[in-house]
Amino acid sequence: MSLLKPFSKLPGLNAANILLVENEEQLQQRLADALVEETAVTVNVRLAKTLPLPLKNEKSRPRIDLVVFIINLTSELSLQSAEASLKYLDPGYFLGKVCLLVTNARNASVPPARLDTVRKLAASLHCPLLCAEDQTPDGVTNAAERLLTILKVAAGLVPMTTALYLSNLTRCTVPSDIDQQGFD
Amino acid sequence: MDDSTKRLLQQLVRRIPTQMLKTTLEKWGRLTTEQQKSLDFTQPKWVLTENLLAFCEENGWTTKHITELEMIYVTDSPNQGMWYAFQLLDPEDDAPSVELTQFKEQFKIHLTELIRHVSIKIKKHTDEAVWIRIAWGDSFSRPNHLKPTYVVHHLQTPYVFMSSVTRKQKPLLSQALVLATRYTAIKDAHLSGRKLTAIRDVVMKQYQQVFPTKYPSPLLEQNQTASNPLIKREQAESSENRHQMACEAFGYGMVPQLQTAVYKLETKFRGITNKTMTERGEPIRCVVKFTSTNLLESFRNCASSGIASTPVTPLLSSITQKGRNFFVITDNGRGPS
Repeated sequence: MSLLKPFSKLPGLNAANILLVENEEQLQQRLADALVEETAVTVNVRLAKTLPLPLKNEKSRPRIDLVVFIINLTSELSLQSAEASLKYLDPGYFLGKVCLLVTNARNASVPPARLDTVRKLAASLHCPLLCAEDQTPDGVTNAAERLLTILKVAAGLVPMTTALYLSNLTRCTVPSDIDQQGFD
Repeated sequence: MDDSTKRLLQQLVRRIPTQMLKTTLEKWGRLTTEQQKSLDFTQPKWVLTENLLAFCEENGWTTKHITELEMIYVTDSPNQGMWYAFQLLDPEDDAPSVELTQFKEQFKIHLTELIRHVSIKIKKHTDEAVWIRIAWGDSFSRPNHLKPTYVVHHLQTPYVFMSSVTRKQKPLLSQALVLATRYTAIKDAHLSGRKLTAIRDVVMKQYQQVFPTKYPSPLLEQNQTASNPLIKREQAESSENRHQMACEAFGYGMVPQLQTAVYKLETKFRGITNKTMTERGEPIRCVVKFTSTNLLESFRNCASSGIASTPVTPLLSSITQKGRNFFVITDNGRGPS
């Protein structure tokens, strides 16, 4: 079992590296295309289906600054796969370098309990939870912009702030009414 | 012109879509140039039907002429109705030398011997297929042209495709076919679908197939889209691998459009969670049915995106390998039978 570590490698100059993990491989390519259009910093994107990552790419892989798990809420498998992959991350990542991105949250076929599960998961990991629209190009660019903001901080490119500091503001908290649905 | 001819023409015009009506009538070639010109295809269907009925009276068309028109329409749109594939077995020595006229003659002789009131029409289509239209009657009634059976056979191949055959007619038709094609038996190929072209492509393996290879395949090169150097796939190799295996099982590019696959299980219940079911002696019966507008495409996508595990289970890959989409799975360890 090889853990992915946040500080095992040296950072590149004016570069930010992001890892997109998605079991279905539907959105990640489009999201990656939108992410690399950023000109102020060099954004390297790595795409993976699940963690752990193959050992033989270990050498060529840059330091990963932000890990994004893309979860398609309509599919149970997508959530399970993300949960399984989380175990292969070094605890250091959970200090602001992990992010959950949820798609299809408004879809009518999603059982309402599943979004709650994801929110609880995000809250327990102290990481932010973003909801994205993956059907339209606008939605994808929008999601990419939001990820870039977090990525720049996580890569240490924004002065006066750190990933840990930002995560205190952005991390998901479970609203108190989530568990109280049983009362009525 | 009698009533049944009129009804047949009415029913036929109703079936043919408006955009196809003009070309079909032109192909038929029974209308005079003036009649052809006087038809306005922007008018509603019922007006056209009235006009055609008038022409029918004028030209003295009989049922035979109308069935000709119907055959033209059906051969031009083969992807309608339910088609069933059958396989001919054990050819006799002269089976490969059967040609069209002989087949026609033999088939007609053998079928009329079995059932007296029957109307048969045989035509060769452009793509080497022989189309047979049979209108059935019974011993007291004349052939019913409103519910004909269509049979398609490619000469020199052991496959026959049938559409709308009742249980009563099937033995008669099978016997006539077997005798006319010089084979000794016929069996159900357990393949059916709404598209004749698709099931023909599956049984005759006329789609782009991919074969297992040790060396980097051309598929790999085609998949490498001009990608950005900044974007890298970590598990590119395994996804290529999955794609390759999925294509090996279900074909590459456009795959034949099958609609269903049915698995009938007659196996013992196995599972630790439910003890009463496991200890029951008799097999548990259930039917698993997959439906989609393009089943093979869906399976291929499931396998290549990793939703279904690869290598693809033989249960699924035998749809293309064995050319069938109905399976009965029993317990004696022979796998899909």
